[in-house]
Amino acid sequence: MTPPPAMSVADAIQPAPESPDSKINRDLLRPMKGATRGYFLLLGLAFTSVVAAGATWIYQIYVGLGIGGYSHPIFWGVYIVTFVFWIGIAHAGTLISAILYLFRAKWRNAINRGAEAMTIFAVLTAGQFLGIHVGRIWKAYFILPYPNQRGLWVNFRSPLEWDTFAVSTYATISLVFFYIGLIPDFAIARDRSTGLRKLIYTALAVGWQGSSRQWKAHSRSVLHLSGLATPLVLSVHSVVSWDFAMAIVPGWHATIFAPYFVDGAIFSGFAMVLTVMIPFRRIYGLEEYVTDYHFDNMARFLLLTSWIVAYSYIMEYFISWYSGVEPEQTAFWKRAFGPYWISTWIMISCNCFFPQLLWFKKLRTHLPTLFMVSTLVNVGMWFERYVIIITSLGREYDPAVWGIYTPTWAELTIFAGSFGFFSMLILLFIKAAPFIAIHEVKELAIHARAHPGTAVHGAGVGE
Amino acid sequence: MPSMLGVFDQPGPVAEAVDRLRNRGFTDLEVYSPSAFPELENVHDDKPSRVRIFTLVGGLLGVLTGYATTIWMFYDWPVTIGGKPFASIPPYTVIGFELTILFGGLATLLGLFLVGRLPHGTFGRNDPAYSNRFSAEEFGLVVSCPERDVREVDALLRAHQAKEVSLVEA
Repeated sequence: MTPPPAMSVADAIQPAPESPDSKINRDLLRPMKGATRGYFLLLGLAFTSVVAAGATWIYQIYVGLGIGGYSHPIFWGVYIVTFVFWIGIAHAGTLISAILYLFRAKWRNAINRGAEAMTIFAVLTAGQFLGIHVGRIWKAYFILPYPNQRGLWVNFRSPLEWDTFAVSTYATISLVFFYIGLIPDFAIARDRSTGLRKLIYTALAVGWQGSSRQWKAHSRSVLHLSGLATPLVLSVHSVVSWDFAMAIVPGWHATIFAPYFVDGAIFSGFAMVLTVMIPFRRIYGLEEYVTDYHFDNMARFLLLTSWIVAYSYIMEYFISWYSGVEPEQTAFWKRAFGPYWISTWIMISCNCFFPQLLWFKKLRTHLPTLFMVSTLVNVGMWFERYVIIITSLGREYDPAVWGIYTPTWAELTIFAGSFGFFSMLILLFIKAAPFIAIHEVKELAIHARAHPGTAVHGAGVGE
Repeated sequence: MPSMLGVFDQPGPVAEAVDRLRNRGFTDLEVYSPSAFPELENVHDDKPSRVRIFTLVGGLLGVLTGYATTIWMFYDWPVTIGGKPFASIPPYTVIGFELTILFGGLATLLGLFLVGRLPHGTFGRNDPAYSNRFSAEEFGLVVSCPERDVREVDALLRAHQAKEVSLVEA
């Protein structure tokens, strides 16, 4: 056999043909480009409500918390209700990115980025409410253990102190997780942008090229952070629930509180992911990536968590009756049939009755229905916190100090502003980075090409 | 030493080519991939990533810090609250737990940067072999080899379904 002719280095040099960009990149980077009039309208609306809330807050700092509806004995109002609500919303992101990652539920790849973004923005929104609630914002740093002239330290036996540590840890770790997931996508955006944008993405991508050393460290980091974030996500809302359960207020002092709150948080978080994802998919035409299969799965999650919430409600009432403790029984009776009965029945119907529609597969994939149910769940979950906080405080042991609380315009403006703030950040983020994790979708797409015939949802290969 | 670049569509053949090249004694290899694939992790070494050491050390430091600061602070200003001991382990466990996660997570981020050698390269300049195609959907395998082996490497890459092979201009 004659050996083939020797090949010189020069022969080996071939001009690499310019290959067109991949469809997934084009599809998923598209939402970042340009903006319609509708986008600016929404952004303007959100911004206006933030400005209104900010102005109200400044006014509140000037005149004091008296402009809120606080009256003895109810000194935890809409601000704390809204704080717990947003912390709850923040739970779906980490659940989807960390817990479903550990369970190898690959369908999460199409929705995890959006959900993580919602986590960060919801925590940012929630955090502000602690500052708004304390009134004297300039003393908010008292909650941190810092060396001071008086030699005093904070009380580490207080659940409020635990909450400081839990929420700030949650915000930090979510941000780290979010950024690590974004690095490869920043590199994708860097390679396809020019000018100032390129400069920013180059800085954010920290020289990411997808080399094997980088991916190896990346995969390990994501795995470890998932392992750390899983107990974290369960701990955060448990600690928030102990803000209540550690007190001896009837209606709060229950051992079921931690799992009850964690489940409620996941329930409301998933509802918010649906509320944002359904319009997002429709506006940007990303049906190939976020498929009916995803919505079906999320709707099942909603149904499951709705039943756990319903079980918790039933247990709360059962235990208060079974305990034979009169103040407990009264508190719960007054919840359902006292002055706040409307809030209670809104909570029960939105969280327990309407989600039952999701037993039917047709309705689980019928997006208008799903959107409606998820919105109602958000309403219901806000009212759940309202009911737990307000009715319990208003009906404590001594009927002589029972009271009524009605939110004022100031509280409602700031509450509305929180939705504006959250929406504003989501809208800005859609333009700043891919709302669907491109590199994770590619993992599915490349896998699907290598093994034709296997069901891979959301890999952009539906057609 | 010249570098050869093979472009692939699938991770499997890249992994096979890497194995073959390593067996043939080519150890100066680099793989660019658009997403994480376990089969492509062991191009440089077969050991598990050292990021795990960072997470472990961070977590242990966190739990120690959590218990140590809470206990120390109560002894620093010893006020009896509710008749409880100064070193009350159950409530301090919450702080210990949260700091385990916080320190562990931040150490993992540090681990990613140190073990993954980030930030990589000079600002705004990519490796000579890197191109936009590897942040699209293609895989690149770069082999540094003596000039006399160029032909062999070229043949080997093509034998493993490289759709094109070229010489990298440094």
